[in-house]
Amino acid sequence: MTTPLYDGRDEFLSEEDLDLRSLTQDELVAAWNLWLEQAQITNDLDAHEYAHGVFVRVPASCGLPE
Amino acid sequence: MPDNIYLSLTRQFNAGRVRAVVCSGQAAVLHRVAIMSKDGDWILREDEEALSHVLGVLTKHGARYRFGAPLDRRWLAGGWSAHFEFHAGPLRVRTDFFTRPPRLTPADLERLWAGAEQADIPVVGLVELAEQKKTNREKDYAVIGELSRRMTDPRDQLRYSRSARDLIELSRRYPDLVQALLPARPLLGLMGAGIEPLEVALDAERRQAMHRNEDRLAVFTRAASAWASAWPTVERQIGGQSLRDAHVTVIRHAEQLLPFAP
Repeated sequence: MTTPLYDGRDEFLSEEDLDLRSLTQDELVAAWNLWLEQAQITNDLDAHEYAHGVFVRVPASCGLPE
Repeated sequence: MPDNIYLSLTRQFNAGRVRAVVCSGQAAVLHRVAIMSKDGDWILREDEEALSHVLGVLTKHGARYRFGAPLDRRWLAGGWSAHFEFHAGPLRVRTDFFTRPPRLTPADLERLWAGAEQADIPVVGLVELAEQKKTNREKDYAVIGELSRRMTDPRDQLRYSRSARDLIELSRRYPDLVQALLPARPLLGLMGAGIEPLEVALDAERRQAMHRNEDRLAVFTRAASAWASAWPTVERQIGGQSLRDAHVTVIRHAEQLLPFAP
């Protein structure tokens, strides 16, 4: 099926995300890089966490606050 | 053309041979669905050459081991993941690797590697990405909802849609498919019940998937308890070592403390 189902009633992501499709490859990479740089601000908050894989947190004795 | 650390790493991992397929968060970027993850994740070929090559690339970048399994096929074949970190300019770059991603069958992986051979930047497909996104995080189910709208096969849309309205519309167009897929997705039996019961079932389905993933991770956490206790000591030992030497040290300790399969 190729007919779009989206009718504007159920939205999963932001307009910014949905706009990714309209970017050129260069614009996509530039937006991606900018996002990554800005996201570094949370590095201290997730220093001991894992986003993927089978490990959840760095063991508590590795300098983690109790 | 501007470059990106994850594109660059993927090309380096795949120099001369396809060894690594981009998955998870950065795959969502490459599919132009969302930018929402700082870390890079790759599915690797489960062979010595591939793992050694990837370790060599990481060594050149000055990467260090994070708590995790060794980048060694004995553990990766058991479903474990290996984790590294380095800095590139302003970025803290985390790289996560596995060879047996959850919820993907051997047949899925075979198709994945066949498709990867044709790509400049190998990346998991929409269906595989949707399976990977069945995590414990609420936000990942929004991504699955969007991914399903990008899928072109109505079977896949019916399997992954997170919208009651979309599902009802799909069921009108493809009633026979709904019947065929019912055993795999029981909530498709609620198509005649209206939006609200279907939305309740979608929420319950999401929670079940999250709990299944939590249960899966708990098995690994339990199996890694001795490894977790020893990690501070191991980490101190590898602190001054090159990644190649650290790799040998990590394996030596893990052989005593981390079972190959959880």
